[in-house]
Amino acid sequence: MDRRVYFLAGDVLSNAVTGAATAWLAAAIVDSSWFMPAGMLAGMLAGMGLGLLMMPVFVSLFGAMEVMLPVMLTAMLSGMLSGMASAMQVPAIPLLLLAGGSIGILVLLLTYAIDAVLHSKAS
Amino acid sequence: MDTSTQKKWNFSAVFYDLLAWGAEQRWGPRKREFFSSMHGKVLFVAVGTGQDIPFFPPGRDIIGIDISPRMLAKARERAARYPGLLELRVMDIHALEFPDHSFDQVVTSCTLCSVPDPVAALIALRRVLKPGGELYMFEHTGSRVFPFNRMLDVMTPIWKPIGPEMNRDTVANVEKAGFKMQQVSNVYLDVVKTIIASAPEG
Repeated sequence: MDRRVYFLAGDVLSNAVTGAATAWLAAAIVDSSWFMPAGMLAGMLAGMGLGLLMMPVFVSLFGAMEVMLPVMLTAMLSGMLSGMASAMQVPAIPLLLLAGGSIGILVLLLTYAIDAVLHSKAS
Repeated sequence: MDTSTQKKWNFSAVFYDLLAWGAEQRWGPRKREFFSSMHGKVLFVAVGTGQDIPFFPPGRDIIGIDISPRMLAKARERAARYPGLLELRVMDIHALEFPDHSFDQVVTSCTLCSVPDPVAALIALRRVLKPGGELYMFEHTGSRVFPFNRMLDVMTPIWKPIGPEMNRDTVANVEKAGFKMQQVSNVYLDVVKTIIASAPEG
């Protein structure tokens, strides 16, 4: 885990913004007329697509793999969960953005934890 | 010369510095520390636009190669500021124009993700290394950790047309090419790594 403030802030920004944006996009595509698994799949695919579009901006500013991997995972999960929620009942936009951003932060913390386990392993 | 690979990297040279700025800032301190072990006659493979040159220790004797003339055109500005011997040459890793056992050390930086045939490339590097010479690699590779392994598999065909492959098992490729593994350290997850290996003695 990089402890420099610029990169920590960049990680948080990248994942929170991606999570919120993909949650919003999935909710814009899926509504309560959708079969829930189809909504989840559509949300995940939309999230991946948007994540790929947003990635070059964050990568160029904050790093390569350290940005790509959590941002793509955030995009997939946030899109999928937002698609699922939207297939059940259309959620309020502020709540969606908050949930998406929170998913991004959780994913980031998860990758930090896995990195901490793997980081110093040598063979 | 592999002209399709050359065309790909000539095209990428246009935006490479912009896209790689964040990575170079992030990895810079780690690269500076890793490259500080450069010694003797050094071959630096895939020098690209020369973003790694500021992290080279001063006073070394280095030949940097890259398949892309456009990448090297940008690298020459950085090379001119290097306080040591640094010669840049357009060359394909699969067709190295050096005699056997020419170098004490070969250094790569995000190279083996991009060459068309990584094992053949590593065998070519082994040929130009002196017996017992060292291979120092700063590379990103595939992962063994779910879900990152699957994500890298998905991202590889998307990135490959303009950049690297994301899911290569570079550590295994180094061993397949006949190097003796010395050390593998994770820099980020098990995806970004430093690898130190040596050419067989005699």
